[in-house]
Amino acid sequence: MSQNVLLTDAAEPAVTEAAALLDGWRAEVVAPPDLAAAVASAPGVGAVLVATGNPNALRDAVEAARRRGAPVIVGCPDDAVRRRALELRVDEWFLLPATADEIAARVRSAVARRVPSGAALHDRVGRVEYESMLYDFLTGLPTLPVMIERSRALIKERGELVVLYLNFVRYSKIEEIYGWEKLDAVLETTASAVQGFLAESALSTSRVMVSARNDDDFVFFHVPAAGVAVATDAEITELVRRLERHVAEKIEAQHGEEIATLFDIYVGRAHVYYNPKMRLERLIYRGIREAANAAKGIEERERGRKVADLRTALRDRAVYIDYHPIVVAGTREVFGHEALARGVMRALRSPEVMFEVAAEADLIWELSRLCRARAVEGMQSKLGPGELLFLNVDPHDFADPVFNEEFESEIAEPHRIVIEITERTAIKEYPKFRERMKALRARGYRFAVDDAGSGYAGLGSIANLEPDFIKLDMSLINCIDTNFIKQNLVETMVRFANDQKAMVIAEGVERAEEFETVKQLGVHLVQGFYLHRPEERQEEERLAARG
Amino acid sequence: MTEVQRPSILVVDDNHDNTDIIRHYLEVRGYPITVAHDGEEALAAFEAVRPQLVLLDVMMPGRDGWEVCRLMKQHPALGKGVRIIMVTALDEWDDKRQALQTGADDYVSKPFDLAKLAATVERNVALLPAGT
Repeated sequence: MSQNVLLTDAAEPAVTEAAALLDGWRAEVVAPPDLAAAVASAPGVGAVLVATGNPNALRDAVEAARRRGAPVIVGCPDDAVRRRALELRVDEWFLLPATADEIAARVRSAVARRVPSGAALHDRVGRVEYESMLYDFLTGLPTLPVMIERSRALIKERGELVVLYLNFVRYSKIEEIYGWEKLDAVLETTASAVQGFLAESALSTSRVMVSARNDDDFVFFHVPAAGVAVATDAEITELVRRLERHVAEKIEAQHGEEIATLFDIYVGRAHVYYNPKMRLERLIYRGIREAANAAKGIEERERGRKVADLRTALRDRAVYIDYHPIVVAGTREVFGHEALARGVMRALRSPEVMFEVAAEADLIWELSRLCRARAVEGMQSKLGPGELLFLNVDPHDFADPVFNEEFESEIAEPHRIVIEITERTAIKEYPKFRERMKALRARGYRFAVDDAGSGYAGLGSIANLEPDFIKLDMSLINCIDTNFIKQNLVETMVRFANDQKAMVIAEGVERAEEFETVKQLGVHLVQGFYLHRPEERQEEERLAARG
Repeated sequence: MTEVQRPSILVVDDNHDNTDIIRHYLEVRGYPITVAHDGEEALAAFEAVRPQLVLLDVMMPGRDGWEVCRLMKQHPALGKGVRIIMVTALDEWDDKRQALQTGADDYVSKPFDLAKLAATVERNVALLPAGT
């Protein structure tokens, strides 16, 4: 059996012991002045351990090792040698004297990660770049060119291939709301759920390959194993159904219902038959297109069904309101509640989905009216005396004639209502907006700017709206305890609000650390799952809405 | 060896004087330092050395600090474990928003106030996951 040689000028027993601790290594000790020459000529050198205090001898040994491509570990008798070793960018160093364990660990890690330098380094960067194009960086799945190359021979041999196109539809701009880290995490969950599912499925005996096509769609190739028939349509339909459920469950388990309801998965399929007259890549790409179109078709049918559901919901007033408490940061006393409307039917549970469907079907005013009416109706029973109701109002609602009537005459206690408008849209509509806001202010309503800090617009545009409350965008609160830039932004916002006599609300507070951090930064009010258990309340509401 | 292992830091700046000063200053404080002078070199060193902290200058020829920061934070194996401190003045609101988009954790302004630099490094080291 060939052994790796740890070539060294250190005569200490600890070094020899260290080599014995490493599997398949032995130490070879030479006199310090001979080290560089030995590095150049000795056979089987796996790593070089230099312990000399002579800076020139150290440099010569390092250069010789570099020419050979062997990693260098330096035992440093003093700080000067340590600094010298760092300058020479050696792979590892330790302070002398050291135990055999310590030395062995240094050798191991130096061998595991060689610091490439010069031309080797740039070569490596180039290679890494190309490799990264072949595999999806997030999921580690192969990209299409890799898949096609891998399946070429198989398809020729088996004669056919099933392409499944998994269309991953996300409602609302999840990235805009929660930040890209969240979407990345969800996509990672999806990829691992898909891979896990396929490994355990009946198809695993045949050849299944998965590819991440772009940021959110997946493609599977199913090539039957030798002697096994390609899966029948019925089998694939069943498989797809279970896959959809499996992925949805995994997302819900890891990211919560709130996120899970923002996604839908539609799977389209196509058969590709090998034809020697045609180029295989073309056949496959055509198959993928066909499967993608099929998925799109299913999505459109589903949307049609959702619109029908929404019409039914509007007729039956089947919307329930989730009242999210907003508490005073210092005392945790309830200050008010944000009304969040949800559909009673599962497909419309998420407000983002419900409003998106309404926008497509041109039912947005009707839906908004219903949600507002239900929210105000619940004030008596759900809110304590004096607690405020935060109502989400979209800019297009201001154009709704019924909205104006409602707020002019129908609402009994305007001073208990805070109208939330979102920074994202408020900025564009600004002149007309101020006009309307002025009239409503005169009636006693107050205003909150929602999602503040979500865009690049800065504080000026918020100041123009003269809000009574500033609701910080959730992306600023998520993990604020470990991000100093977020802390700095929130601090700035609090200072600004104090100047404007406005109050800052931190939304999306989910952890104790986040709560403590925003409290310390001077945030006045706090909202988020950390402060209440939404599931219980939702369940209660759901029952009430049915009864 | 009884000395407590300090987390390793990658210092990236195209100006050699700056990297020399920072390296010396932090090495004296016991941090193992690796230096890189452009984005490519920084990314290669990032994979090779696996630093726990990166001090990243924004203004560099080629890939700038923002791009390097994003690539590091997106790294499938190492992205989650590293904290990145941008070296740049973030005065405006949207500068800070942009910094957040790239995944940066903190920033320190030039010209260097070395005491402030050390304090910034330390408050980020304190937040590194235990056992690294």
